[in-house]
Amino acid sequence: MTKRVLIIDDANLVRMYYRDALQRAGYETAEAMNGLEALEYLLAQPADLLIVDVNMPTMDGLTFLRALRRQALPLAATPALVTSTEAAQVDINAARAAGANFYLVKPIAQDLFLRYVALLCGGAPQGASR
Amino acid sequence: MNEFLEQFLIESRELVEQATGDLLALEESPQDHDRLDSAFRAFHTLKGAARIVEFDAMGRVLHAAEEMLVAVRAGEHPVTADLISDCLSSLDQVVQWLDAIETGGDLPTVAATTVDALLQRFEKADARLAPAPVATGWAEPLAALHPSARTAIRYAPDEGCFFRGEDPLSLLERVPGLLALDLQPTAPWPDLVAIDPFACKLVIVALSTAPPGEIASLLTTAAGQVQILALAADAFSSEAQALLQAQLLLVADREEENFTGRFAAAGNVVANVLRAQGRASHADALLRLVAAGDADGFAAALQNVLRGDDEEAGEIARAPQDVVARALRVEVERIDALVKLTGELTVVKNAVGHASRLAQGGADPTALAPLLKEQHALLDRLVSELQRSVLGIRVLPLRHVFQRFPKLVREMSASLGKPVRLLMEGEATEADKAIVEALFEPLLHVLRNALDHGIEPAESRAKAGKTAVATVLLQAVRDGEHVVVEVRDDGGGVDLDRVRRVAETRGIASADALQAMDEASLLELLFAPGFSTASQVTDISGRGVGMDAVRAAVARLGGHVSITSTAGHGTSVRFLLPFTLMMSRVMTVESGGQVFGIPFESILETVRIPRAQITQIGAAHAFVLRNQTVPLVDLAAALDLRGADEVRSDEANIVVTSFAGQLGAIEVDRFGERLDVMLKSMDGLLAGMGGVAGTTLLGDGRVLIVLDVQALLR
Repeated sequence: MTKRVLIIDDANLVRMYYRDALQRAGYETAEAMNGLEALEYLLAQPADLLIVDVNMPTMDGLTFLRALRRQALPLAATPALVTSTEAAQVDINAARAAGANFYLVKPIAQDLFLRYVALLCGGAPQGASR
Repeated sequence: MNEFLEQFLIESRELVEQATGDLLALEESPQDHDRLDSAFRAFHTLKGAARIVEFDAMGRVLHAAEEMLVAVRAGEHPVTADLISDCLSSLDQVVQWLDAIETGGDLPTVAATTVDALLQRFEKADARLAPAPVATGWAEPLAALHPSARTAIRYAPDEGCFFRGEDPLSLLERVPGLLALDLQPTAPWPDLVAIDPFACKLVIVALSTAPPGEIASLLTTAAGQVQILALAADAFSSEAQALLQAQLLLVADREEENFTGRFAAAGNVVANVLRAQGRASHADALLRLVAAGDADGFAAALQNVLRGDDEEAGEIARAPQDVVARALRVEVERIDALVKLTGELTVVKNAVGHASRLAQGGADPTALAPLLKEQHALLDRLVSELQRSVLGIRVLPLRHVFQRFPKLVREMSASLGKPVRLLMEGEATEADKAIVEALFEPLLHVLRNALDHGIEPAESRAKAGKTAVATVLLQAVRDGEHVVVEVRDDGGGVDLDRVRRVAETRGIASADALQAMDEASLLELLFAPGFSTASQVTDISGRGVGMDAVRAAVARLGGHVSITSTAGHGTSVRFLLPFTLMMSRVMTVESGGQVFGIPFESILETVRIPRAQITQIGAAHAFVLRNQTVPLVDLAAALDLRGADEVRSDEANIVVTSFAGQLGAIEVDRFGERLDVMLKSMDGLLAGMGGVAGTTLLGDGRVLIVLDVQALLR
């Protein structure tokens, strides 16, 4: 079964980078510009993994995560990977407190990123070209 | 004590009981494979539990015992009295540790010598065993093709197995997570014509993703022909490890408001990571813990997985279901009955809602009355049915307390040198949980008495023409709203002359009174405080508690103890207990402006007497009722609720009750009404408060305190 990854980032370039990498690895992708858009998307259809940026307009990543984890199950249980340029422990702790499953500091090497995504999704898509 | 440790205590005690019962049964019938398996599983699970709470010493001792049972199961070691004793003493040690945890609230510090002494016993036994043949090299070729395999099986079926109805392949078919099978001839195949098609000349190598322990228990029927090898599990990738660690942190903080979502998300991630690493069975196990909302269990299991402790992770995989089953212990039909009642109650609720809307809309009250009355009648029926159903859930079979006795009687019998056979009947008889759990101490005391005093020494038995092995019968019977538990021995009966002598020397009664007493009255003396007929205090029954303590304990449960005895034929101690503790009929009384409940069963009568008839005796009060002086306690004064300048009515309202066989009375300001209530015992800070039997909620939401009359008069 194809895994769907929702990329939540306000920067076009970043979304493109993730989208490109994920699609070539065999994932289905969807995109949202901020937390609010992401919530609206998720209320309509589920995703297997969320890639969440922290600093976004309208609704930032951590507010989004707190709102997400308060939703009913199974929506609240959607795995979330926070990616941010901030590398301080306080930021990592804040993301965890908001309900992030993991935290990666940007920029992230593509192969490492894909290894994490594969683990978070329960295995890499079958027969995908890397 | 944290919840985790509490659960550990509950579970461990049950497992110890189970293991003890199995070991004793095994000693009786060493060929009983079911008992052996059951004992093994109990030790195994107990060991797993010890490791989960990181109680190393307990884990090591149990591991050694378990190894012995494994050897027995493999047919490498016979069931001997020594082996049973070794295993039992390891359980004894465990019980001591559990007691220490219960009192200390934490894992006890264990002296290394304690553990070593126990381990040595097993090592000695173990040394008698021939080392199991170890053959290696057979698993690698196949395992190299299947990196996700965790267990390799080498099965060399007996050549004649087909004639015994064994089917090696169908046996292997049942192995969970089977990945590959490889069949090889035991020797190079001969010419086709020379092949014996009825002989199984095969070695089968199989690989599975299931943990070795699970497979071993499945293949017990082929023990001796099977070798099971644990394959080194692949280490987690560093990314996987980092992800799993992060999830552990995510569930560590329980205070966060969105914990449910965080926990579930962490569970998903852990499951995904484990699946991606080829550990689907661990993933499923951990998801079950998430579904059960067991965050502690989840964290512990995850830690074990991270530590690479496969076997324990596998144990945890099975543990949660067991825990749920133990904690609830409710038959499905009982739950179904509750669900059905809930449905009916909802219908009534809707009807009442309808009536209230009618009333709001200005409907004629006289027209509404029949409707409400009808619904009230319905509600009345449903609520009493609901109460009955809920009571049904609270009952436990007496087996829970009975099963602890065979081992204890065995020990007592050995230490007294009196061979005794304990027979148990009616273990399936049910009673309220609180009663079942409180029966252990009183019954133990009575059993001790039976062995120590009741059963005669061997030479007296021989002289009386009795069997050398004495019999003690522990029996439970349901009798209407009561449960009768009886301990009967075939000993010499109570020596009434001795009772007289002891009662006289201890000043319990005068010689004349004693001579005049009939047998029943003399037996009643055994319950007098401080009475003991034992001429020598033994370490078994001379522990400072007598039959008076037994009677008091049973009285607290609302029951009664009596003794009957036939000289030369034995003694019988009979406990008459209520079936349930929960439903109580109370009478409300008012005192000092407050309402209290008095249990109906403790009220003999209510009287109204002129205040002038109450006389002061010292600091206390009393009055005369039908030529008997009855001590009187003023409830409001006893509870410090009486204003000093309060004007008292000319007549006193008095509740007459009995206390320890004597009459006693309580003065109240007003009598109230009769109520059927679900009595809730006091807990938390108020648990130790005297004079209060419990509380219940009144219809108007007030809390009614139900008094413990016995304690008030004491």
